[in-house]
Amino acid sequence: MATITPALDTHDHSHDHAHGHHEQTFIQKYVFSTDHKVIGIQFLITTILMLMVGGALALAVRWQLAFPWESMPLIGRVFGLFHGEGGQISPEFYTMLFTMHASVMIFLVIIPVLAGAFGNFLIPLQIGADDMAFPVLNMLSYWFMWPAIFCFGVSFVASGPTAGPGNGWTSYPVLSDLAAAAPSSGAAQTWWLFGLTLVGVSSMMGSVNYMTTIINMRAPGMTLFRMPLTIWSMFITAILQAFALPVLTAAGFMLVFDRLSELLPTTIHSVFFVPAGIIVNNAAPTVGGGQPLLWQHLFWFYSHPAVYIMLLPAMGMVSDMLACMSRKPVFGYKPMVYSMAAIAGLGFIVWGHHMFTSGMNPALGMTFMTSTMMIALPSAIKVFNWIGTIWDGNIQFNAVFLNCAAFVALFIVGGLSGIFMAAVPVDIYFHDTYFIVAHFHYVLFGATLFGVFAGIQFWFPKMFGRMMNDKVAKVHFVLTFIGMNGTFFPMHLLGIAGMPRRYADPYLHGYLEHLLPMNQFMTISAIIMGFAQFLLLGNFFYSIFRGQKAGRNPWGANGLEWSAPSPPGHGNFDVPPVCYRGPYEYSSPEAEALGQDFILQTTAPPAGVQRVAVHH
Amino acid sequence: MENSKAFSLKNLGLGCLLTAAVSGCSEFDSSFAYSAKTESLIAEAQDGTDAAPGVKPTLDSRFGNPQQLKAWLKLPVEWGGASARVEAVASTDTEIRIRFTPEEGKSLPTEAGSVQFITGEGAGQTVAITKWDAQTGEAVLASLPEKSPASGDLCAIDGGAALQSGRVLYMRHCSHCHGTAGDGKGPTAEYLNPKPRDYRHGVFKFTSTNDQSKVSREDLLRVLKYGIPGTYMPSFLLMKDEELHAIVEYVRFLAMRGEYERKLVNELASDYSEKSVSDRLKDEKRSDIVQELNEFLKDEFPATADSLGDELGEVWTAADTEDAKIIPSVPRVPDSPESRRRGRALYLSSTLNCADCHGIDGAGNGPQTLAFEKNPVSGELYKEAGLHDEWDNLNQPRNLQRGIFRGGRRPIDLFCRIHAGIKGSRMPSFKNTPHEDIWHIVNYLLSLQFESEPGAIAAAPAAAAEAAPAAAGD
Amino acid sequence: MKKFWALFFWFWPLVALYVCLIAPSRGWWFPSEPLSTLGHQIDGLFYLILIIVTVTFVGTQAALGYALWKGATKGSSQKAWFSHGSHKLEIIWTIVPAFVLVFISLTQLDVLADIRVLSKFPDSVQNSPVAEVMARQFEWRIRYPKPGTKLMNEPQPGDLYFVNEVHVPAAVPTMINLRTQDVQHAFFAPRLRVKQDAVPGLIIPVWFEIEKAGEYELLCAELCGWGHYKMKARIIADSQKGVDEYLTRLELEQNEDGVADAEASAE
Repeated sequence: MATITPALDTHDHSHDHAHGHHEQTFIQKYVFSTDHKVIGIQFLITTILMLMVGGALALAVRWQLAFPWESMPLIGRVFGLFHGEGGQISPEFYTMLFTMHASVMIFLVIIPVLAGAFGNFLIPLQIGADDMAFPVLNMLSYWFMWPAIFCFGVSFVASGPTAGPGNGWTSYPVLSDLAAAAPSSGAAQTWWLFGLTLVGVSSMMGSVNYMTTIINMRAPGMTLFRMPLTIWSMFITAILQAFALPVLTAAGFMLVFDRLSELLPTTIHSVFFVPAGIIVNNAAPTVGGGQPLLWQHLFWFYSHPAVYIMLLPAMGMVSDMLACMSRKPVFGYKPMVYSMAAIAGLGFIVWGHHMFTSGMNPALGMTFMTSTMMIALPSAIKVFNWIGTIWDGNIQFNAVFLNCAAFVALFIVGGLSGIFMAAVPVDIYFHDTYFIVAHFHYVLFGATLFGVFAGIQFWFPKMFGRMMNDKVAKVHFVLTFIGMNGTFFPMHLLGIAGMPRRYADPYLHGYLEHLLPMNQFMTISAIIMGFAQFLLLGNFFYSIFRGQKAGRNPWGANGLEWSAPSPPGHGNFDVPPVCYRGPYEYSSPEAEALGQDFILQTTAPPAGVQRVAVHH
Repeated sequence: MENSKAFSLKNLGLGCLLTAAVSGCSEFDSSFAYSAKTESLIAEAQDGTDAAPGVKPTLDSRFGNPQQLKAWLKLPVEWGGASARVEAVASTDTEIRIRFTPEEGKSLPTEAGSVQFITGEGAGQTVAITKWDAQTGEAVLASLPEKSPASGDLCAIDGGAALQSGRVLYMRHCSHCHGTAGDGKGPTAEYLNPKPRDYRHGVFKFTSTNDQSKVSREDLLRVLKYGIPGTYMPSFLLMKDEELHAIVEYVRFLAMRGEYERKLVNELASDYSEKSVSDRLKDEKRSDIVQELNEFLKDEFPATADSLGDELGEVWTAADTEDAKIIPSVPRVPDSPESRRRGRALYLSSTLNCADCHGIDGAGNGPQTLAFEKNPVSGELYKEAGLHDEWDNLNQPRNLQRGIFRGGRRPIDLFCRIHAGIKGSRMPSFKNTPHEDIWHIVNYLLSLQFESEPGAIAAAPAAAAEAAPAAAGD
Repeated sequence: MKKFWALFFWFWPLVALYVCLIAPSRGWWFPSEPLSTLGHQIDGLFYLILIIVTVTFVGTQAALGYALWKGATKGSSQKAWFSHGSHKLEIIWTIVPAFVLVFISLTQLDVLADIRVLSKFPDSVQNSPVAEVMARQFEWRIRYPKPGTKLMNEPQPGDLYFVNEVHVPAAVPTMINLRTQDVQHAFFAPRLRVKQDAVPGLIIPVWFEIEKAGEYELLCAELCGWGHYKMKARIIADSQKGVDEYLTRLELEQNEDGVADAEASAE
């Protein structure tokens, strides 16, 4: 408990800050940098590039579904794979394609772009700190991504160029456990598991850092309930991550031990996930008493919260951006915070809804169904509040806003389709069909990625001191939006029609034959969507060097980050920020008194008003 | 996929050749790989000399490639299509109408895409049909053939259609394991145990034909329908009958192509492989060797190639006749402890000596499984101990206690396995064993899953242990 | 241009709705009516949720579009509504969805119990599976008990075997034992709305009642390796008499000794 009355100098003393440091070499400044902003941007650029890799894999999957067994572009002729087959891919190659698409997108794009890129860049800036609590740990969290990327990269070639990890990103044993069960995965699967573990290490370093930073390093006056929702979401995500991740890491090691049993000394042979008497690929029957469902429990105990790790930060960021672009306070700030906390809390007890058809005890199914239904509630509250935020606002129809509005519109679809799958009897039909593929792409692409597109655009001036081109961004938005819906909306219908996922050739089954034209339409949409991302790339890299110069606060936003120079120097703030109010006081009478529709959190109230009372 | 069907006919004095072109929208073509032995010949023997074609052109001219299959009519493959004769030709400047009559005992197809003229002036031409009336047999041709056909000419309507559809199905369902050329080297093959069959030897393991015969269509169909338990060959039970038949024909086509290639190469391998040529270079000049090869290819090779085709046609035709089929002379001896005991005694007897490979208890662990075998071709010892098959894969004897019989679990299946042996493997034929004795052994084998010694368990199934736990249910 | 964007966000949900509306007539819907008793209940629940979801979808998208339209038509001189939210609204939109969600949840429980809880299986199928369906890479191996005996968990002499085709009686509840020989698979019969994973090490009873005799697809719905898509099989529902005849036939076939057959063809 302290009440402070900061005396604000009017003159600039950020230089005093900077003078305390040595001149840095290029390597220190841009490669092994401990500056959270550089690390954030490193994460951002890495993940955008990985997005293109994941997208290419997705297009390969789509190609096979639209033109099954026809010569695949690039794969056959340019890379010279499957030459004897006339460029027709093999089914195990297809399993590799969808496995690696999911792995790259989830572990190398969505998770690091939210927590790694935006978390790093925004947390210190938005809470008014000069850097993260543990700058070196922060640097390591980025540089642990590269061994992970390396491991994933090796897994493309470790089992030969025409094979790779082919067990799905969920990697269910016994398939992923016994080398003979999915022989094409071979060493690649083990490398994949190492990659997964390293991504986990990277995330864990980030989480610890974020929690510490947010708890300890807020600027004077930045109370918990004056934090922007972005920070709240990062905070909650970090907690989720820190508590869920160890389980996955442990499970991953168990699986690695199972897989490597033949290489390891007999004393550490393990069969955690393999029951006795399993005969695969003509090998001798297995011995041991493992339980394959154990993996599913452990995996989803992490991976379900991970779904929220892949979503919550985007929710927070979108709340910030919607408020700014509507020139209105966030509608229901505290309900927003509480609902995020509720999502996180409930997120820990819903993992079983991935296992409704797995043969687990039906009583458990009922419990998980109820908790899963209830997790829709905070999501619904958030949607209503977002609409409330836009309502009667002075909307700025720029690309940032459009992407945010798309986030809300598409999240509604993803949320509502989730209800079908939360209901066990209905899920029994929809489990592992394209309905679920539609659902999670609406959440992860429709919501999260559109939030990320908006976020890139919105914070770009803070990152590089220049604006991105709004017109190009709008074209990118429209093409992506249309392509995205054209690709993923029909998947709902495919799911209802009973098309199972992960089929290299669904048309083998008579009742799915007539869905080929629809799949071709989806593939064309996907190609449009995929190529539209070059607009983003082009706009991004062009604007870094040639974009219009931006001032400190180009959007007229309220957060602390907008009081810093663009881009902020080392140590972030030229004036140590003091926070006087919440982050969303757009169009407030106080702002109007200044003749504007925003008021920075650092703007001191006029004399006579009690200056600041900070209660810790 | 099959938007153009160009047939050409070549009468090379070898019998008729039909060419079925299958061009798809795929941007690049697949090809039939040649065998390693073909590739081990010197280039002149592979490709031929100025004077005469070598192995590869000979093979290609008779079998084509996957996009353009050729039908060598010496071979007993159901190529598909209907043969018909031109009855009347009516041509105007713009279109040509032909009325066809079916060959005796045949009928005209309900749909037709093209016609290939086999005899007469227009022989060798293929023309697309734009309009087809199955009732009257009248067709409107898409274009005027260069040389007009006359009535009485023999032609094939949609010649090779069945083989093409077999190819399409094979590439979709089979090729990723068995390979485009049926060499068992598709991209998936390396992951499988046991390895997928390499058809090019013309040898198939599980047949109902006697030990000297090829596989019958019925046998292949059975394998397609029911799969091979204990291997990755799955059951394709739900494919339509005509699809299965088309695949069977295509597999036979590939098998014959491979076998023919092996035979052709054998004519040349001893003198003209890279290895033997380099040996011969010690006391001969290369130009002499090539000259000798040239003469051989010109003078003897064509006739040999032809007669090899005839032989091939004969043996593959014979496989589908009743003579080739194994028919036990006595019905199965009813199963009884006595019969099983008799079977076991035979199993252990020194004349049959089953236990040498399959082990005393039938667990597939006889002494032979531990011995190092010699590769019958190269004469070197195999790296792994145990029995190997014709394809040099380790092929250990079946564990008979598991109740998994790859060639089928019916008594007749086991009878055939013993009678004819398993072709290409070290399981020999016991065709001289009295059929009654074979039945005793069959009875014994079928009991091995349930009891180690005949009569060891009484017929009380309730005593069987319920080993696997039931799922959590309530 | 602002109005264009507002219309854009109104337009696409209409397209989505239109696509869903015409979907059944284009075959982009369930492969057929549910053809098992439980299937009807599952579809009933599906349509219940579909109605609730559609109403919510239309409501929220319309509200979002309207909010955008309002923003687009607002004069630039007009100021934004300064509001931090409404306690009353928060309560309403917490409690109403909560009730709806709990309601949906409760409607599911009975059907779930019918499908999965062993003690709620119909009496006639309790402990009397008609066949064992053993999934393996990449086919379904079926084992029937010798006619007149009960199915045991371990193979018995006289058991009948087939592959990729399982015959069950129609119009009565039927239970099969689901197992896997190797990795995880899932027993998925789309027209019957039946899906159950086959888990290594477990024997999982699955029951259903097929209403009419006929052929029903059976496929695998859990990634089981490169040949996952190849696990094409069928369930054939027939009268009890038909099933018995089939099993008799199968028994004859399975005991085929090649002699009777040859004699028949010789005649």
